[in-house]
Amino acid sequence: MATQLKEDFTEATRWRRRPRPTFAWLAQVTSGVLLLVLLTVHMVAQHFVVEGGLRTYADVVAWIRNPVVFAVEALLLICVTWHGVAGVHAVLLDLGLRGRAERIVARVLGDIAVATVLYGLWLLYMIAFRG
Amino acid sequence: MSTQRTVLLKVFRFGPDDAAPRYDQFRVPAGPRTTVLDALLAVRRLKDPSLTVRHSCLHGSCGTCGMRVNGREVLACVTRIEELGDPVVVEPLAGAAVAGDLVVDMEHVYRRLEPVGRPLVRASERAGKKDGTADAGPVLEDLERFEDCIECGLCLSACPVAGDPRFLGPAALAAAERVLEEPRGADPRAVLGLVDDAHGAWRCHTAFECSAVCPAGVDPGEAIMRLRGRLLRDRLPRLVGRYHREVRP
Amino acid sequence: MTQASRQGARPQRRRPRWLDPRGRHLGTWAFVANRLTGLGLVAYLYLHLVLLSTLLRGPEAWDGLVELFRRPVFLAFDLLLVAGLAFHGLNGLRVALVGSGLLVDRHRALLVAAAILVGLVVVVAAVRILA
Repeated sequence: MATQLKEDFTEATRWRRRPRPTFAWLAQVTSGVLLLVLLTVHMVAQHFVVEGGLRTYADVVAWIRNPVVFAVEALLLICVTWHGVAGVHAVLLDLGLRGRAERIVARVLGDIAVATVLYGLWLLYMIAFRG
Repeated sequence: MSTQRTVLLKVFRFGPDDAAPRYDQFRVPAGPRTTVLDALLAVRRLKDPSLTVRHSCLHGSCGTCGMRVNGREVLACVTRIEELGDPVVVEPLAGAAVAGDLVVDMEHVYRRLEPVGRPLVRASERAGKKDGTADAGPVLEDLERFEDCIECGLCLSACPVAGDPRFLGPAALAAAERVLEEPRGADPRAVLGLVDDAHGAWRCHTAFECSAVCPAGVDPGEAIMRLRGRLLRDRLPRLVGRYHREVRP
Repeated sequence: MTQASRQGARPQRRRPRWLDPRGRHLGTWAFVANRLTGLGLVAYLYLHLVLLSTLLRGPEAWDGLVELFRRPVFLAFDLLLVAGLAFHGLNGLRVALVGSGLLVDRHRALLVAAAILVGLVVVVAAVRILA
């Protein structure tokens, strides 16, 4: 027999119209997989190749001036900020964040993420071009 | 002439006249086959008849006596005291309004299950056959098979997320997966729309606590992941631009 | 909200379920560990950005910091960081697979595999860092 589904949940059109939850999952998975690669590269190249593990000031500047390194570090920054802030949002949701507070926090987290990326990119630029 | 073994129960109490919950301690007799439910009924019989407990079948198939014992969700009627140590802490299911002591309002389970609309009977499996031959033994009628879920609510209590009333939760999501597996006239698109939500299948954190505590073999965790696989297989073509693809149930 | 639909039903004190460790199984432990390492890594991200900002103050400031970080207590912290990163990354990969409907019935085996790999990574990192 045909089953009845409540109107407020049925909304078959919702299925077509809103990819956001699936997109959020895919973004987290994609950024996570990218981070596995990028962070490994970052850790090895930054700390396990150099004698003593840490570069001096001059070495850092020379390293960051390499365009491939610059690009990788920038991509790493974007991925880690996205992944991390999305993760914090999930944690806050599970701590009971709801309603208006949830919307405000989501907006604030978004702003923090943007600010973080902008700051990091600016820092990269300053080291590479003004070092 | 051996001294009877006893067990100390620390039982959650919260009645309509109480300002706040408390834990009462009761020491009751306990043998090798005594279950938690036996011990609670002994408390009612011997110590405090006001202790509120709910049960029905006494053999783990109705799902009525779900509660937390030492923090873990179990059916009290099939949980043996001797496996638990001493004292035994008994509390009601988490995340549900307490009607009295260990009895909770199960509305939070039903209001999630109802919109999914999964029937009680599994159409794809039947047992037994009408035997037309003249035979000495009894003839098995064509038996219907119920769905596994006994709607006990253990999964919802155990789930690290299900305290959020917006989250559909393991039982409803597993039920949705069953509906997609066997639509039986239901609209698969509606069910997919129901679960494709930040508080639907995507809110699960793969803790699998639901599957660990389910007494009926539903394995809601695995069902939720299968649901997510379905959603991805149907969503991904849309995300890369094929917006008119038919939804595969 | 938890409304009493029957007269007399009283809401329980709301505590986030993932913070109650009693009676929980392996999958929940993996989830909690992923969450805690994730939060730790987000905190580290911002700490790292702050420390990297030292580069803006020139070679003396940065090279001084590098000397500081060669001390054993910081090396130990680095090892902890690598362990946390390895766990979050490898268990995260497991979550990405299982949470997308792949290898679901193997989720415990995947956790064991992840744990073994984390151990290997930590050993390799320890050898490299302490050398």
